[in-house]
Amino acid sequence: MVKDGDFVAVFNNIHRVMKAEKILKEKRLNMLLIPAPRSLKSDCGLAIRYDEADRNAIEGQLREADLEPEEIYRKDGEEFTRIDAQR
Amino acid sequence: MKTIDCRKMDCPLPVVTVKRALEEAPGEDLKVLLDDGPPRENVTRFAVNRGFIVDETRMEGGYAILISGAAGETLSINREKNGDTVMLIDSDRLGDGPEELGRLLMKNFINTLVEVSETPDRMLFINTGVLLATEGSEVLEALDKLGNRGVEIASCGVCLDFFDQKKNLRAGTVTNMFSVAESLLKAGSVIRL
Repeated sequence: MVKDGDFVAVFNNIHRVMKAEKILKEKRLNMLLIPAPRSLKSDCGLAIRYDEADRNAIEGQLREADLEPEEIYRKDGEEFTRIDAQR
Repeated sequence: MKTIDCRKMDCPLPVVTVKRALEEAPGEDLKVLLDDGPPRENVTRFAVNRGFIVDETRMEGGYAILISGAAGETLSINREKNGDTVMLIDSDRLGDGPEELGRLLMKNFINTLVEVSETPDRMLFINTGVLLATEGSEVLEALDKLGNRGVEIASCGVCLDFFDQKKNLRAGTVTNMFSVAESLLKAGSVIRL
């Protein structure tokens, strides 16, 4: 479900990820709730996927709503690279 | 040797058509005409994963793909089991409990299927389950990917009609109760969600 260049925001709490999805959907931002990739550690097993174009808007909304993800990764080839949220 | 023309077909129809042709004539070679790009890639991947030998030839307006080798013994179309694995999805929610959680779990389950190496042969959607295959569903991408791996996706026509969603079907085909009943009765195993 994750292709090269996609961003994956991992959450460690089901309520936070559900709230995050709801807010982003209301804002009509292009993202998808996905199972957290196996190679990434996540307590609730859920993550939000988005691409570069929506990155600013999505991460901004999450920060505003105090729902910052636990960790953010970018898929580079077969690997996931941990990156910092945009400020 | 049979030749089928799958050019101008949108994915996942080429894979579905090839799968059906291989099932109808087990052991026989099959020649498939395909557009370059996803149709060619998906059909080739599907056939190779099922243990067939694939030989491609470039031709005008696409590719001719020869599929042979009678599906390696262990990877027959119906796998090792006697009969298909059929998944019956009769709700857009997974499990009892809060609606919101049930919807999230179903979505997560179908998206997870894409990441698992084993796939069902067929996924039958009935009742509110059909809403997973219609416009606006968040698992369309996953169903498309599963379709490209040879999973047959079929939704109950009566149910689509009931929800006034006949025109909004975006994944797989429409089926009827005869096919659903036969499919369940002939299945090697049925997984009911």
